[in-house]
Amino acid sequence: MLYKILIVDDEPPVRDLFMDLFKREGCQPVACASGEEALAVLKKDVFDVVLLDIRLSGISGLEVLKNIRNVHKNLPVIMITGFGFDEDLIAKSKQFGCSGYIGKNMPVAQIISIFKQFVKNSKEKGGCCI
Amino acid sequence: METDTKELLPNLIENAAVIVLYLDHSGNILFCNKKTESLVGLKRSGIISKNWLEVLFREANNIMTKEMFKAVMEDSITYKRAKDFQCHILSSNGVERIISWSITPILDKNDQIEGSALFGHDITEIEERETSLKNIDDSLKNILSSIKEYALYVINLDGNITYFSMGSETMLGWSKHDIIFKHVSILHNINDNVSNLSLILEHVRLFGKYETETELITKNKEVVPVILTVNQFLDSSGKLIGYIFIAKDMTERKKLEYQVFQSEKLAALGQLSAGMAHEINNPLFVISGRVEMLKNEKLSQKVKDSLALIDSQADRIRKLVDRILKFSRKSAATLEPININEAIELVLPLIHYNKLPAAKIEIEKSFEKNMPPIKGDLHQLQEVFLNLLINAYQSMPGGGVIKIITSNFKNLYAQIQIIDTGTGIPDPHLKDIFMPFFSTKKDGTGLGLSICHNIIKNHNGSIELESQVNKGSTFTIKLPFI
Repeated sequence: MLYKILIVDDEPPVRDLFMDLFKREGCQPVACASGEEALAVLKKDVFDVVLLDIRLSGISGLEVLKNIRNVHKNLPVIMITGFGFDEDLIAKSKQFGCSGYIGKNMPVAQIISIFKQFVKNSKEKGGCCI
Repeated sequence: METDTKELLPNLIENAAVIVLYLDHSGNILFCNKKTESLVGLKRSGIISKNWLEVLFREANNIMTKEMFKAVMEDSITYKRAKDFQCHILSSNGVERIISWSITPILDKNDQIEGSALFGHDITEIEERETSLKNIDDSLKNILSSIKEYALYVINLDGNITYFSMGSETMLGWSKHDIIFKHVSILHNINDNVSNLSLILEHVRLFGKYETETELITKNKEVVPVILTVNQFLDSSGKLIGYIFIAKDMTERKKLEYQVFQSEKLAALGQLSAGMAHEINNPLFVISGRVEMLKNEKLSQKVKDSLALIDSQADRIRKLVDRILKFSRKSAATLEPININEAIELVLPLIHYNKLPAAKIEIEKSFEKNMPPIKGDLHQLQEVFLNLLINAYQSMPGGGVIKIITSNFKNLYAQIQIIDTGTGIPDPHLKDIFMPFFSTKKDGTGLGLSICHNIIKNHNGSIELESQVNKGSTFTIKLPFI
């Protein structure tokens, strides 16, 4: 599993954890601390999947998602949030074209397993929602 | 100049505005004045020497009246005393007049009856005025009786109740007969108002009116919150003769205000909780994630045990934060038509998956057959019912009965009652029962009922609790039909 993953989260410990977790899984993660930085990186590089925090300082995760969709129609983008499984946030994320949604309230092992399954499906069937 | 009374007297009698007749022993008229002629419509020649009853009561159907007045005259003569009576007579123009009569025996020097003087005063207009005043009085009484939302009572200057409206009877439980002439302090909160009552009355005496928010006491010693207006009670000459109290029952308003206050407080707490939960979730995610990563390292058993402990405690926090987030949810997620009876039926088998007391508990169901659907989120509503049922179970460690009653309130909303015979909740705790983190249970998080409250509120419904210690609790939920 050598997916190239773009991780967008403004909290360094969360970012670092994702980096370590995905490296351990054999992925190739790249971390960004803001939406602005992420959009700039996406212009230069190609990724298999984006892991995007909803609440970011600067432009919000949803705004970043909207911008990504303007350019990358089929790039899988998974929203991640500390608000847990919030129906309103899920609905908004879907409206802006997210491919999946993960709550930080889930156990880490479960998050990784869901993530792997998602990317696998995404590659094979052209995307699915978690 | 001295007036000649001998000439004046006949003149006065002749022109008097009252009927004056003089009768002999048999009641034959020996004298009459002008007013008599105008009233009966006969010339004096047609009146004199006729019997007074024939002249005054000419209508054929007046035998009873004639006999009665004959008896009055005989009584006056027999006992040598004046007698008053009243009757209706037909005047010359066919209009019925009301005459107030006075018959007086006239005695000679030897105290023997010479005849009888009959004076008649036409009181038709006075009577009509009185009747119309009485009608107004009756209407006022009817109006006052019809006002049931207000208690209206009047006291005299000694503070004794002299009037107590039907509205007062309804609101305060006293019957008119029981409370009339009792002192008004019986209705006022001793701790709060009795010392003020005299000040209030003094204020009203000086300034005419006083309005205050206060409490009245019912016959059963229950407290009714009211807006009380006290006015002066004046007689027709403007003299103060008492005080008029008008009290508007504020119980429902207070209840509503309290509910709005509670809801706003809960909404604010929800917002705060969501923010806090988010802030906790991020570091928690890092802690759990790091523990997860360390699990694959070669570690001593002691460190592994410590990591397992950190992991389980982090999991505990995660679950708590999940509950907090659930509490803070703003909207019902998936709205669909739901039959409340079916929703409850689906929940009942789930109860036993929870930790429950071993005692024998019976469930009695009474479901409304004609129950239109409501619009709601089935899972959320089931969570509410499950939560309430588990609470009911836990409140009956010694066993008991849970009644589940559903009813259709005027085709407006579904009412669901969950009634237990458990330990109940003490009165001071009732007001906080839907607040987050408030729990009467030893190991409760205090989020269950606040989540229930939020879910029901998001469904535009209401949830209320009535409880008595050692008797049980009743949760009443109202959800509007589609």
